[in-house]
Formats: sequence, structure tokens, C-alpha cells
Amino acid sequence: MNVRLLAHTPYELLRERFPTLGWRQLLPHLAYTFSVEKISRACSHQLVRHRAASFSQQSQRYITVKRLAERVVTPPTVDDSTFRGLVEKASDAYQTLVDSGVPKEDARYVLPNATETSLLVTMTGSALFHFYGLRLCNRAQWEIRSLADAMLARCKASEPEVFDNAGPYCYMLGRCPEGRFTCGEMAEAVERYRP
Amino acid sequence: MRLELVAYTPNIETMIATSMLITTSGAQPGTLYDRLLNRPGKVKEVVGRAEAQHGNILEHNRLVWMLEATDGEVLEATLDTSYLTFTRLDGNRWLLSGNLRAAIEYAQEKKTPLTEAIAASVKRVAPDIRFLEHEER
Repeated sequence: MNVRLLAHTPYELLRERFPTLGWRQLLPHLAYTFSVEKISRACSHQLVRHRAASFSQQSQRYITVKRLAERVVTPPTVDDSTFRGLVEKASDAYQTLVDSGVPKEDARYVLPNATETSLLVTMTGSALFHFYGLRLCNRAQWEIRSLADAMLARCKASEPEVFDNAGPYCYMLGRCPEGRFTCGEMAEAVERYRP
Repeated sequence: MRLELVAYTPNIETMIATSMLITTSGAQPGTLYDRLLNRPGKVKEVVGRAEAQHGNILEHNRLVWMLEATDGEVLEATLDTSYLTFTRLDGNRWLLSGNLRAAIEYAQEKKTPLTEAIAASVKRVAPDIRFLEHEER
């Protein structure tokens, strides 16, 4: 996974121009565009569920997936050799279909969720805070949590005055909103995101 | 009514071109963006081919304006479009923002002093996109 903050609305300029507005009031007027590279399709499916965002993603209708075995994200919980074997079978099936003239947009139906993808993601500051609140939670799935962590690190480096306030919802609210599903590790989570 | 563009995402057309090329390119988005930053001629050519029906390519940015308008003018604008964000600064001054897609679609739908001022901003930050051309005919 590789994450870059490519562009954003200049917060400092707005803060100087409108000193009566705090960072929280400026959030909906700020936008951040990331290049998110080499995440799994499983992860991008979760990412695009954040509807208050904009996405431009590599298309499997037009891009042939070559050397699939080198372009998959392997979950840490699976045995690597078993996983590789299954991916090889999917790769063979995909190539067989493409070679027999099946359009890429149909051959891709045999590709696994592990297949790498890359995309541009743009969110407003408000949408980003909500994304971080949910996806930095200990209960979030490991890959999107890792993605959210990388995105937050880029934002903190760029605009710490704003993004030192961001983290999982327990950090931002001072309480866990997960109810009976709480991880029970709020103190550690809060400490992890404290600047 | 007075509208002033006070801030916007840099290199808007480069990002539009990157967004257009990502779909069909095996190159990584960040690599495409870096390459295009050094090729303004290519950006102009790609952006000139943009088609309105793929509006998401216009969403990777944000324009921020300071609007001076009456409550009635602001109410009319908020009823017209859900995709622009308003924050009251004081009295008749508002902070207004939205992405290029929201700005263009609003300017295409209605002709008011506000949408004409928005269209002028669009032409300033993205002079090579052609979606507003029909307005000029």
C-alpha cells in the first residue's frame, strides 16, 4: 500500500482570511485528494461505501490484470503458500478466458477480492473526520484501518492544527460509541492518537 | 450580490487529467499526477476531451468563495443546489464552497448573478474545460 496526499484546499489561507472561524467550522470547506495505491479490491469496496467522497479508480474493464500473483494483497491470517496456490488458479482461469476472446470486463469475474487496485480519493474535512472516526476504530478491518492510519499521517504532517484532533471516535468523542461491541481498549486507542 | 473566489485546490486541471487517465492506465495515480504536472500541453489536450457524463473527474478539488448576498438570495441558492456548502460569517457575508462539478452543474442549470459569478470562477481555475461553452453561444 502506498498513500500520498496530492492536493488540498489551503487551510492556512482560509484561517488567516476568516479568523473568527475555527478549524471545525472550516472543515466542510476543505478538501483533500489522496493517491491510494495497491490496496485490495476488498479494501476499495469498503472505502467507496463512504458516499460523501469522490473516487476515480483503475478499471478492470480496460486494464488487463497481468501477473496476478504479484498483484494481490495477502491477509496476515492466511497461510501464504495455500493463498498463493489459489491465486494462481484464479490467474490461470482469468488468462484462459482473456486468451479465448472473452472481454476483460467479463473475464474479471473470476478475479479475487485480493487483486490490487489504485485510485484517487477526495473527501472534505468533515467527511475525513467521519471516515477516521469509523475506520481507525480497533473494530475496523485491518487493511482499511491501515489505510486510514496512512491517510491521517499525511494529513497530520500537512495540517497538524486540524488533524491532531482526528482519530477513532473514542478519541474524538471521549467515549466509545460501539456499545456492547466495544473493544475495551479505549485508553490505549486514545493514547495512540494523542499528538 | 458579490462573489469573491478566496481559495481553491491547486493544479485543478492536472488533477482532472489524472482522474481521466487513471481509469485506463496501469500507472499509479500519484505517478500520473507527477508526470502531468510537468506537461501542461498534455493536460490541456486531455482536459479538452472531458465528457460531461463522467462528472466524477470534476470532483477532486474544492473552490471556496466569500459571498455577500441577502438572506433571500442565499435561501434561493440553497434551495437550488444541495452540493454547495454555506457558512454564515456575519450579517450578509457567507463562506461558500463546492467542487467544480457542483459549480458547473449549478451554472448550467440556472442563470442568475450568482451562477454567472460562479461560472467566471470556473473559467479562471480550469480554463480548458468546455462544459460551460454552450452558455456562450
